[in-house]
Amino acid sequence: MLDKPLPNAPFYEIRLKGHLDSQWASWFDGLTITLEANGDTLLIGPVVDQAALHGLLKKVRDLGMPLVSVVQIQVLDSRQNDLEKEKK
Amino acid sequence: MAYPLLKTKLHIPNLRPSLVPRPRLIERLNQGLQAGGKLTLVSAPAGFGKSTLVSEWIAACGRPVAWLSLDERDSDWVRFISYLVAALQTIQEGVGEDFLAALHSPEVPSAEAILTALLNEIATIQGCFALILDDYHVIDSPAVDQALAFIIEYQPQHMHLVIATREDPHLPLARLRARGQLTELRAADLRFTPTEAAEFLTRMMNLPLSEQEVATLDARTEGWIAGLQMAALALQSLALQEHSDNARFIQSFSGSHRFVLDYLMEEVLEHQTSEVQTFLLHTSILERLCGPLCDAVLGSSSARGQEILRDLDRANLFLTPLDNERRWYRYHHLFGDLLRQRLGKSAELPALHLRASRWYEENDDLSAAFHHALAASDFERAASLTETAWQGMERSFQPTAWLGWVQKLPPAVVSSRPWLCVQMGWAYSDVGELEASETSLQAAERALAEMQEMEAFKALPGTVALIRAGNAQIEGNLAETVRYAELSVQLAPEDDRLTRAQAAITLGFTQWAVGKVEASLKAMRTWMDDMQKMGNHMYVIASAFVVADMLVGLGQLGEAEKALQQTIQKAEAFGQEAEVVTAHHHLGLAMLAHERGDDDVVAQRLQTVADLGQHTTLIDWPYRWGLAQARLKKSAGEWEAALKSLDEAQRGYIKNPIPILQPVDAHKARVALKQGRLDMAQAWVRERALSVMDEASYMGEYEYLTLARVRLAERSFEGVGPLLERLLALAETQERTGSVIEILLTQALFYQLQGNQPQALAALKHALTLAEPEGYLRIFVDEGEAMQLLISDFQHLRRAQPLLGYIDRILAYFPQPVNDELQYLHRAQVQVSKIQTPKSRNFVEPLSERELEVLKLLRSELSGPEMAERLIVSLNTLRTHTKNIFNKLGVNNRRAAVRRAEELDLF
Repeated sequence: MLDKPLPNAPFYEIRLKGHLDSQWASWFDGLTITLEANGDTLLIGPVVDQAALHGLLKKVRDLGMPLVSVVQIQVLDSRQNDLEKEKK
Repeated sequence: MAYPLLKTKLHIPNLRPSLVPRPRLIERLNQGLQAGGKLTLVSAPAGFGKSTLVSEWIAACGRPVAWLSLDERDSDWVRFISYLVAALQTIQEGVGEDFLAALHSPEVPSAEAILTALLNEIATIQGCFALILDDYHVIDSPAVDQALAFIIEYQPQHMHLVIATREDPHLPLARLRARGQLTELRAADLRFTPTEAAEFLTRMMNLPLSEQEVATLDARTEGWIAGLQMAALALQSLALQEHSDNARFIQSFSGSHRFVLDYLMEEVLEHQTSEVQTFLLHTSILERLCGPLCDAVLGSSSARGQEILRDLDRANLFLTPLDNERRWYRYHHLFGDLLRQRLGKSAELPALHLRASRWYEENDDLSAAFHHALAASDFERAASLTETAWQGMERSFQPTAWLGWVQKLPPAVVSSRPWLCVQMGWAYSDVGELEASETSLQAAERALAEMQEMEAFKALPGTVALIRAGNAQIEGNLAETVRYAELSVQLAPEDDRLTRAQAAITLGFTQWAVGKVEASLKAMRTWMDDMQKMGNHMYVIASAFVVADMLVGLGQLGEAEKALQQTIQKAEAFGQEAEVVTAHHHLGLAMLAHERGDDDVVAQRLQTVADLGQHTTLIDWPYRWGLAQARLKKSAGEWEAALKSLDEAQRGYIKNPIPILQPVDAHKARVALKQGRLDMAQAWVRERALSVMDEASYMGEYEYLTLARVRLAERSFEGVGPLLERLLALAETQERTGSVIEILLTQALFYQLQGNQPQALAALKHALTLAEPEGYLRIFVDEGEAMQLLISDFQHLRRAQPLLGYIDRILAYFPQPVNDELQYLHRAQVQVSKIQTPKSRNFVEPLSERELEVLKLLRSELSGPEMAERLIVSLNTLRTHTKNIFNKLGVNNRRAAVRRAEELDLF
């Protein structure tokens, strides 16, 4: 759904306990998956609205993965471009 | 049953032999049950063994259990309640059967009324029982949450509710906790203790593990049951290999940061044959699995589906059986998600969904077929399935659910399909959204204009016109109703008999509503002939009661009786389905007999009706039954009971095209007049904003006759005479003799009250002449004493010899003989042509506030001087008040005054 994110969609960082393979990215609507050394997984990307955010959290809930935090983040344009590139 | 219920949703999950006993949890659950708590909440993330624990507990709790596994679609609260009742029926057959019918009627009663009825149904269940709602987290609906909160609040003592969920439900948990009515088990309680983990891995799964290894696995999975189970499966499949090395596996697993299930799933999958791997991945798109369906989805000719499912079940891999025959399964939710994630956006995905959609269509599950077509992005197919589903869903009154399907289709697909747009117009009309209906009909016309090939759409314009006629009818726009209904008849092709017949009957009902009863009767008979030719016997049988209603309006009681009797006879040939519908007809005959004073027949018919009415499928049964009861009770002078029946009729009313000729509130106003509660009747007049100056109409006739009676009770005669004349002229022009008789009687009372005896008797004579051939009795007798006096005056004057026998019969049917004293007074007054007439007992002049105070004291044991003292007035003043009260109540002593006041509910 988020193949073409709205230019102004806010970015979110969802922190989960346990590493997820990058192939989970499509399961989580195209968010970028980053693995932290401490064993956490960060899902980062644009989330169009609150309903979409809750949908994502429901997916986390249904996997039984422990949810650590959810934050809205400011993304610099360059970083956003990087993320877009990464996805391609 | 409107929803095809999936029995598998009511299946209590089977206990697996490898279950770890969990006495500490069972003990806590039992305590909650025995302490009489209302609710047990098992709230924990996926994979904590909630369903397993609950099913183990209830197997041993010694109570009957109703189980309901919820899915997303149960967020539709009508569906939720339907399944709830179906679950309850697994412990007591037939419970809530009538209730379900009401739930699926086109106009669903208020939520509170439904829930109250449901609680009453629950109360009828014998003995203590538990109701389990599994997977409550899938419910995303405030309406369902509220319904459940209501049920919990008023839950009968013998019911215990258990909710298993991944997130806390929106229920007043804090309040239940504070009242000690809630037992809770949460993740911390549910996770395996090290001892339980050891029990599970070494004893149940038979794995040769050291204590240290068990501890490592338990620590890595943190007692998460799904994790431990997967670990065990991974170890089992490892054991099948030649050089299995548990230690290395456990070490690398515990050293990895990977999400527990992700890691283990790969291990488990890797050790399956490629056939099983493909099977698992490809069938993961299915919500429920059975052999043939899996074969269809895999596109394999080997038909090994059922076999593989059995093997997986036996190997304890991912599957939950959904029935005792082990025919239907589903993947454990968590593993299903993992499999689907691995399948990803595979290029094969659309093909898999398409094959599932086809299989479901062939197996008559259009809903599942539709959802898979959507998932396959085959919108044309999805749209075509939606068109196919319409008829069945409309018939079972599910326009809202059907519209939900349409909304999932791309607008461009919808607007290119004329019939789909027409069905939308119909569905929106059914749910009362007339603007949306019209928009859809216009879309249908636009889509039709684009079509090259017209054969498939030749019936469309007539249908569109018919829906527009129906919409105009709902809006009360008679002119438009007629215009479109006529247009529909004109446009519908010769062979579209159903549309033509429906348009004709729409016209017929419109004519009825404006009082052209003869014409509507003719339309009705034509329609019935058409239906008969089409073989729709049920319609023909059901319609006879409408014919009888029309005949009664025309004052043809004998014809009405004949029509009903013939239909009852005819129905016998069509079995029970037809027989139950004749509850209406038997009731109609009972009411005709009531009118004619044939009390034995009334009793006999009502007995038949009591039985049939329980099973009738005609939606307006509760309404008709309530009205009939009210009429019988009114005749018996049981005013309160009559009001109660009227309320029941009102509550039971379901919107239908039959015009409401006698609104319930007008009936109530008439009862209020009988009770001497003039103020209530006046309040009704104000509320309805009725005026004696208004235009006469058939639809308003009953209300205006009621208005006239209120004005008579007030003794404010202005405008009443002309109003009655206008009503009479309309009824006479339209030859509605039933109406004419009632209007004439109202006129007679009007003249009588004004002391205009000659006019009163003339009106009465006219009414008697019309009523005599049909044998009306009640219409006179229920008017009470005033009418009795007038008729006996008529008899006394011997003005009309041929009517004397009939008059004798009427007078004999009054409950009491004419009150001599009243009659004497009456005659005396008539002779001197006084303007004032005696007060009929039916009309009580309102008491002043002071008089009401005195009246209350009259009921006490106080003596006269004591009362005067209490009221701080002189004894003389008290006497004046008392005298006034006696006059107004038409009594002459204290005791009678109190009794009369009690009757009138003045205290």
